[in-house]
Amino acid sequence: MIDSGLSMPLMPVILFHLKQIFWFDVWPAIVGFTTIFCYQIYMRIGLSGARNKWLIFTLASLASMLALFGWTTMVRTTQMIPLYGCGVGLASLLASQIYAVTLPRHTRFRIPFPKAIWRSDERAIRRLHKAMGPQPVPRRTATPRSGYRDAA
Amino acid sequence: MKLAWFLFMAAAALAQVKVPRPAPELEIAEPSGRTAKLSSYRGDVVLLAFVVTSCPHCQAASKEFEKLQMEFGQRGFHAAEVAFDENPDVAAYTSRFGLTFPVGRGTDAGMRAFLGIAPHDRLATPQVVLIDRIGMIRAQSERLGSPMLQSGDVLRGLIAAMLGRHSIL
Repeated sequence: MIDSGLSMPLMPVILFHLKQIFWFDVWPAIVGFTTIFCYQIYMRIGLSGARNKWLIFTLASLASMLALFGWTTMVRTTQMIPLYGCGVGLASLLASQIYAVTLPRHTRFRIPFPKAIWRSDERAIRRLHKAMGPQPVPRRTATPRSGYRDAA
Repeated sequence: MKLAWFLFMAAAALAQVKVPRPAPELEIAEPSGRTAKLSSYRGDVVLLAFVVTSCPHCQAASKEFEKLQMEFGQRGFHAAEVAFDENPDVAAYTSRFGLTFPVGRGTDAGMRAFLGIAPHDRLATPQVVLIDRIGMIRAQSERLGSPMLQSGDVLRGLIAAMLGRHSIL
């Protein structure tokens, strides 16, 4: 409660409300979005069969660290729940539109750089399938106890 | 139904503490053994905060109050705090955050009486009060907390506005 008779300067009040909006609404949305998007990206890189184990390890570690850092800086109130959820939803929506993530070498920096192939980009998908070629399927034999096992 | 809602809202409005109102007398028992009376600051602008020494929000607010004390101390502004948790180590609290303004001990009942909060009501800390030069409370935290009255920027504006008023004492 502030006495209405007090002539408060407007600028600090506006600044205060902007900070409140950022920390209570915008930041949880950013944390939610980044967490899910990073997890999706490194999982897809891992599942796509990338050979560079260190890169996968680094990406996964960084994504987890980023998510936990966001959580520690987040104001934990009920007010932040809807926008955190919106951030997660938006990241999932965006990730669902990505067909695969590849790791081509950056032409300038000469390091592997994640590149998204979108579901709408049919040419890129065909190119990816062509580049991957036919995958060898392991021959499986039936065992009485555990169902199937890889043939030696 | 409408009548019940109206009565509920009216009761809630009546239960809310009003500002401006005269600040009741308060004694702040400092760790040095000295007792400071709130009325002894009459003629100056006073920021009084009721804190719990283990509360992180209170600790962050105390640092802001110290900055304000440094900034406005020469112009007739005093910050003061009353710790009302059980057996607070006020001396350690003061030295840990480098507070130069008086921090004393108080009781939960004394704090509630000063703020006009019923004994059974929940409250959030810190509870911040701004008192003008003539001893009127011009701003007070809501019972469940007012982040605006913990913001250094907002308090700076309010204190500057209150210091700008001419003293009638």
